[in-house]
Amino acid sequence: MNQYEGMFLLDNQVVRADYKAAKALVTDMLKKHGAEITCARRWDERRLAYPIQGRLRATYLLTYFKVPGSAIVGIRRDAELDERILRNLLISVEEVPAKELELGLAEGDDYAPPPPPADDAIDREEPLVGALVPEDGESPELEGVAEDVPASLNDIEEV
Amino acid sequence: MGMKIAAKPRAPLVPVGRKRCDDPRIDYKDIAYLAKFMTPQAQLQSRRRTSFCAQCQRQLKQSVKRARFMGLLPFVG
Repeated sequence: MNQYEGMFLLDNQVVRADYKAAKALVTDMLKKHGAEITCARRWDERRLAYPIQGRLRATYLLTYFKVPGSAIVGIRRDAELDERILRNLLISVEEVPAKELELGLAEGDDYAPPPPPADDAIDREEPLVGALVPEDGESPELEGVAEDVPASLNDIEEV
Repeated sequence: MGMKIAAKPRAPLVPVGRKRCDDPRIDYKDIAYLAKFMTPQAQLQSRRRTSFCAQCQRQLKQSVKRARFMGLLPFVG
């Protein structure tokens, strides 16, 4: 039995109809292949970076489970054949992170997530894709290395 | 007479080979962190700019590819 992390991208229409059924869709599929589910929780609902099967938004379900390595092929095939699961990503992990275990167990049977917004809704904070933005205003890796680079045209020597 | 402007040779921003191994934050779910090491066109930065060791840069590459597959990061910005 190996420990795996499984991230499943669920269709928001299924989640809107019934979140518990959507979660059971994944957990039952894992149990069918003999998995011992450590925890499973709704990781996030967000706008996708690019449309997947015509969907602009989707819900991520993060699961940790133990299963024999031979069952992974079957899980992956079942997830790919199911149209309600848009994407699946299975990764073997050494152990479940303590924070994830805590969050996963905190999501009980009576957990009801907020209903997903409309498909074309835009998140307030778009993912930041930029170059090396330092935290807290300074980056120790960049300190004192680029001192010779002129800050502006005024600093460039005229010949 | 136009003046010739000669810029000084640009020093590398980060010295290559600096060790920063076993960075526990490299994870495909932490897209805000991954995005720091990408260009505005969502391309991965080189080791010269990220200053990662070879192992961490490989982890970064794998994590970005996983995040792209799951629709968390764009393939093309």
